[in-house]
Amino acid sequence: MNNQDEVPDRLPPEGESLPKDVSEDVSEDVSEDVSEDVETKLADLEDRWLRAVADLDNLRKRVARDVERMRAEERDHAAAAWLPVLDNLELALSHAAQGDAGGSAVLEGVRAVRDQAVGVLARLGYLRHDETGVPFDPAHHEAVAAVPRDDVPPGTVVEVVRPGYGDDRRQLRPAAVVVAKQAA
Amino acid sequence: MAKAVGIDLGTTNSVIAATEDGHPTVLPNAEGSRTTPSVVAFTDQGERLVGQLARRQAILNPKGTIYSAKRFIGRRYEEVTSEMTAVSFDVVEGPQGAVRFKVGEKMYAPEEVSALVLRKLAGDAAKYLGEKVTEAVITVPAYFNDAQRTATRDAGRIAGLEVLRIINEPTAAALAYGLDKKANETVLVFDLGGGTFDVSILDIGEGVIEVRATSGDGHLGGDDFDRRIVDHLADDFQRDQGIDLRRDPQALQRLFEAAEKAKTELSAVTQTSISLPFITADASGPKHLNTTLMRSTFEKITADLVERCVHPVEQAMEDAKLRPADIDEVILVGGSTRMPAVQNLVRRLTDGKDPNMTVNPDEVVAIGAAVQASIIKGEVQDVVLLDVTPLSLGVETLGGLMTKVIERNTTIPARRTETFTTAEDNQNAVDIVILQGERERAADNRVLGRFRLENIRPAPRGTPQVEVTFDIDANGILNVSAKDRDTGAEQRVTISESSNLAKPEIERMVADAERHRSEDARLREAIDARNDLDSVSYQVERRLEELGEAVPVHERARAGQLVQEARQAIKEEVPLDRLRILTGELQQIYHGLGAMASAGAAGGPGAGTPPSGGGDEDVIDAEFTPSDSE
Repeated sequence: MNNQDEVPDRLPPEGESLPKDVSEDVSEDVSEDVSEDVETKLADLEDRWLRAVADLDNLRKRVARDVERMRAEERDHAAAAWLPVLDNLELALSHAAQGDAGGSAVLEGVRAVRDQAVGVLARLGYLRHDETGVPFDPAHHEAVAAVPRDDVPPGTVVEVVRPGYGDDRRQLRPAAVVVAKQAA
Repeated sequence: MAKAVGIDLGTTNSVIAATEDGHPTVLPNAEGSRTTPSVVAFTDQGERLVGQLARRQAILNPKGTIYSAKRFIGRRYEEVTSEMTAVSFDVVEGPQGAVRFKVGEKMYAPEEVSALVLRKLAGDAAKYLGEKVTEAVITVPAYFNDAQRTATRDAGRIAGLEVLRIINEPTAAALAYGLDKKANETVLVFDLGGGTFDVSILDIGEGVIEVRATSGDGHLGGDDFDRRIVDHLADDFQRDQGIDLRRDPQALQRLFEAAEKAKTELSAVTQTSISLPFITADASGPKHLNTTLMRSTFEKITADLVERCVHPVEQAMEDAKLRPADIDEVILVGGSTRMPAVQNLVRRLTDGKDPNMTVNPDEVVAIGAAVQASIIKGEVQDVVLLDVTPLSLGVETLGGLMTKVIERNTTIPARRTETFTTAEDNQNAVDIVILQGERERAADNRVLGRFRLENIRPAPRGTPQVEVTFDIDANGILNVSAKDRDTGAEQRVTISESSNLAKPEIERMVADAERHRSEDARLREAIDARNDLDSVSYQVERRLEELGEAVPVHERARAGQLVQEARQAIKEEVPLDRLRILTGELQQIYHGLGAMASAGAAGGPGAGTPPSGGGDEDVIDAEFTPSDSE
């Protein structure tokens, strides 16, 4: 990357010799002034040209970088839009498990569908995070409640209300968790 | 070189922007978000968290999570007694009646907290830009007094920034719209954010922007609208199901998320569905919240909130001694101004003026601050005004098509080279017809000039390579050259009139193309299909000749018959499908023959897909060299 950034420094100002030769041939002050003007102008133009070329090259790199970033953002965006559907599916499953339909074959099938969805997200690079018993970390967790507990140290995640997806680099959302606090 | 940035240091959220290549853009933070919550947390473990991370742990650390620092900055303890009661952290009196936030045993000044937000913004921006950020323009509300401005400046210094200038938020908004270039204007800036509402009236003249009056409501914003939706949904649910969802924190959180989403959607559509399955449960089983919210209902339940905007606007106009008709421009700032009801209100209060809202209202202040920063740093002066070609330029190709070489709106100077080939065996010259316009058919475009490149060595069609170069200099003068790669022979022509079309003429040509777009596309498709078929039948014929007796009789017969059919189809105007089917069949045969050829003599010419193209006139073939065709 640096290679191209250096362009303006690397090339010698080729134009310099030419106007000097001209000015030596002509003795009058006026033409010396003119040649000096030309020289300044030439140096200025050369500088601008090199800057423009360097700008273009930097732009090219930025566009390449931006495209990569936008793809990742769009992927995050699209994946995140599906999360409520998965959340609701899980809610449905947890309710069904409590009811009479607990052991039915249909329910088993629906559970497989849930696992499939979690698998798809994992393959897209968004791993599921729903661990309890770990210390609260705002990089992965969003605290939604604090409950007094004396069986675990304060600051421990005791319940995951809504699982999080993705790791530090590409996080769709943090896990919404309930955290233990000092029992009064 | 270090970058100068513009920072909108907000009460709830902050935004940072910088001018890159003359265009101000918002810089995302390390989490990839364009706005950063103005929240700082000091944890028990002695950590400092800023932004989203601080917000996530707020509920666990109510005494150590500082938000709304902007409401306290530069103010005396006795002035903030009402604000103090609205926050969860402890506000105490410091030396000389100053405000301090007490976290554990430590005291923090509001400017220290704001400095942490600024430091994160600048640090993340530097990471994004790949260069240091050391200088900034920071915005403050127009009503900020000297002490508040000085404290904000100090916050910048504590964060390690050189504060180039503190400017008013409405002034920044005006700069973002380029209104500073206007001669004499009166501008009303209507800023309805997440939690505060500000109205400002600006006087603009000769590059100087002056605040004439300000008014507002310190506790009115988008969050209030969300809460109304939540209450509306919860009340309905309670009436139907007898359960108050607001008592269940998880249900309440889902309600708030759904409310915010519904509010946003209702700015674009007139009704939205809210679906929260399994929102709660009772003895009879799970309960779902499924409902539709109409925009009219939403506007009814928030009418009083919108109405609260009226008085501050009228007050500001009265203070400025203006009537609604005296306002020249209106600018909308803050995400809540996306609501149609708010926009209608603004129109009503300003004598029906259409407000400016093309710049994202969440970002317009930061954008304006970035513009100010680049003006101070003199970054703008180096801008070279670049021209563009008003219409596409190209050549006529096989079948009477216009093949564009330089697309319209290409920035000039520009140079493009395309390689073309011949359409007939032993064609010894090509005519280059230079065209200008947007239509697909050559005849529908303007002919700028023509010339002929001769003495092309006899060769089968598709073999010669003619490089056609279009070069437009900065003055719009077009040079077209054609060069035979084989002999090096070259012809060129200079056209100086390409750019001197009158504007209406250009507009007419562009509109024409727009009107005929679908019919032109069909025409192009038909000619392309015919050219493809012609090309592949030629390839098959040639391959048959090359291979001679190596091809089994029945295959030879089948191929020959197909080629005949194809020739017939090209002459008669058969439907597109038929052309494509024939092309597909012939391509298969060609590949079959190719396999045969490579079995016999490895690396026969043209292995792979046949180059397409072909024709009957001596205009050059539409298809560029194989590298460009598929």
